[in-house]
Amino acid sequence: MTSASGPAWAADATVETRSLSRWFGQKVAVSDVTCAFGPGVTGLLGPNGAGKTTLLRLICGLISPSDGELTVLGSDPRKNPKVYASLALVPEEDAVYGFQTAREFAAYAATLAGTDPAKADEAIAMVRLEDAADRPISGYSKGMRQRAKVAAALVSDPRILVLDEPLNGTDPIQRAHLIDTFRRLGDAGHTVIVSSHVLAEVERMADRVLAMVDGKLAAAGNIASIREAMSDIPYRLRVEAGNARMLGAALLERHDVSGVEIDGDTLRVDTTDLGDLGRAIPTVARRLDARITLVEPEDESLESVFRYLVRRR
Amino acid sequence: MKQFIAMTRVSLRQVIGGRRIIAVGLVALLPPIVTLTTIGSYVDRGALRQFHDATIGVIFLIVIPVVALILGSGALGDERRDGTLSFLVLRPIRREAIVGAKLGAAATATFIVAGSGALLSALVLGGMSGVWDPLIPLLISVAIGSIAYASVFVILGFITARAVLIGLIYVFVWESGISFAADSLATVSLFRIGLSAYTGMVEFAVTDIGEVLGSVQPGVGGALVKIAVLAAAAVAIGASFLRKRDLVTKD
Repeated sequence: MTSASGPAWAADATVETRSLSRWFGQKVAVSDVTCAFGPGVTGLLGPNGAGKTTLLRLICGLISPSDGELTVLGSDPRKNPKVYASLALVPEEDAVYGFQTAREFAAYAATLAGTDPAKADEAIAMVRLEDAADRPISGYSKGMRQRAKVAAALVSDPRILVLDEPLNGTDPIQRAHLIDTFRRLGDAGHTVIVSSHVLAEVERMADRVLAMVDGKLAAAGNIASIREAMSDIPYRLRVEAGNARMLGAALLERHDVSGVEIDGDTLRVDTTDLGDLGRAIPTVARRLDARITLVEPEDESLESVFRYLVRRR
Repeated sequence: MKQFIAMTRVSLRQVIGGRRIIAVGLVALLPPIVTLTTIGSYVDRGALRQFHDATIGVIFLIVIPVVALILGSGALGDERRDGTLSFLVLRPIRREAIVGAKLGAAATATFIVAGSGALLSALVLGGMSGVWDPLIPLLISVAIGSIAYASVFVILGFITARAVLIGLIYVFVWESGISFAADSLATVSLFRIGLSAYTGMVEFAVTDIGEVLGSVQPGVGGALVKIAVLAAAAVAIGASFLRKRDLVTKD
């Protein structure tokens, strides 16, 4: 159990969990999690199936804990719905009414939150969905649905914003804009909790990170401390590029690359410093005239990192 | 109140939308078709007896329960299973208001669909035989029956994903079968709530179909009390589920 004063704890906490556990039959989804979230953006990082969504659902009161305590602004949300005047969730699943337009959806959210429905227009503008705002959501792409959900969450200007994989399906421009929006909310003093299985995404959004694996808190702290904790174990990076063989050979000469596998145009690069290597790859590729089409950490690799962190605790 | 109205309006759109409305619309066509084929050359009292013998049974034993089951079980249940329930429950709204709005939408949708079928059948009866007495009482009793069934099926739909199957067994095994076995069982039968209101308002109805009521007394007052109790119980039970049960089922 993590103590209520360590790196998993936050000053001015708005959300607190103490020894929180949730199991579904034999499966333990969240195990003995003690942590707190306060103003600013906190990233909840972990591989798929780590328990992030279950923890967020517990925080929002959508499911009940099997054990432990949870408070949001001092109350148990399942017993005090007034808490929801200050809390909004962007769930991972498509929790939208397909027959509504995004503007209707946001206005409906505003009405239910006791806010002026006219604020829907501002929320739609915040997520840059004006052009499609009057079309039924059923015809939206995944990214547009995500933004409609974010608009519905932002419309009531919640003090606590819970985002479950909010960047799924968004294109790079939308992603950059949403990240900027979440950061600004965090800077303005909102408690923003955002889950992701992609370290690079969390790094861009959050100053503070809680890493989860197998339902447990694996690490907590700022990005630098998480990176440091991960520094002595290899990551695996997937790179798709032309001229892959030469690029692989060049990367293998680097001190932070411990191995390279080549499969056609795909390279799997083992490294101990994901950040440095990620920054260096475009330079090396340019020198070799190798066109890169994809650079991403492999989930499996990230999962092994988290498992390593859990073992170390 | 604004929140309640908004929830009811959106829920009504949700409940009536999609392919379901076509299925229940077809079910609602049964009463006018039955009326059309059974009235024939009957007039006055004879036509009314034919209407009571054939059409009333179709309306109260088939149309209202089936329509309420299909529309009502999805009101909360579909939202729980497709994840949109989280959108509603994460609002500073009393859980009773959420269930009340869902119940209101389901009962209204049932009344719109089943009531249309009942209205058409009463119009066919009046047009063919000149008997117009059942028209208004029929609509009132269909409204009462819609509330009764919606109260049960909205909660059933929340509890189980197999609500339609269980509901059909209830409707066609219990309501249409077992509840006729003894007079005392009639008091725990939903279709008799609407039917008791109808028989309390239409002359000769007790004579024609009164025996179906078993131990239930004809009259609107008793029916209104029963649906008030049923609706209140549904709201209380549903709100309790919203507080205590897991509200998302998808991973």
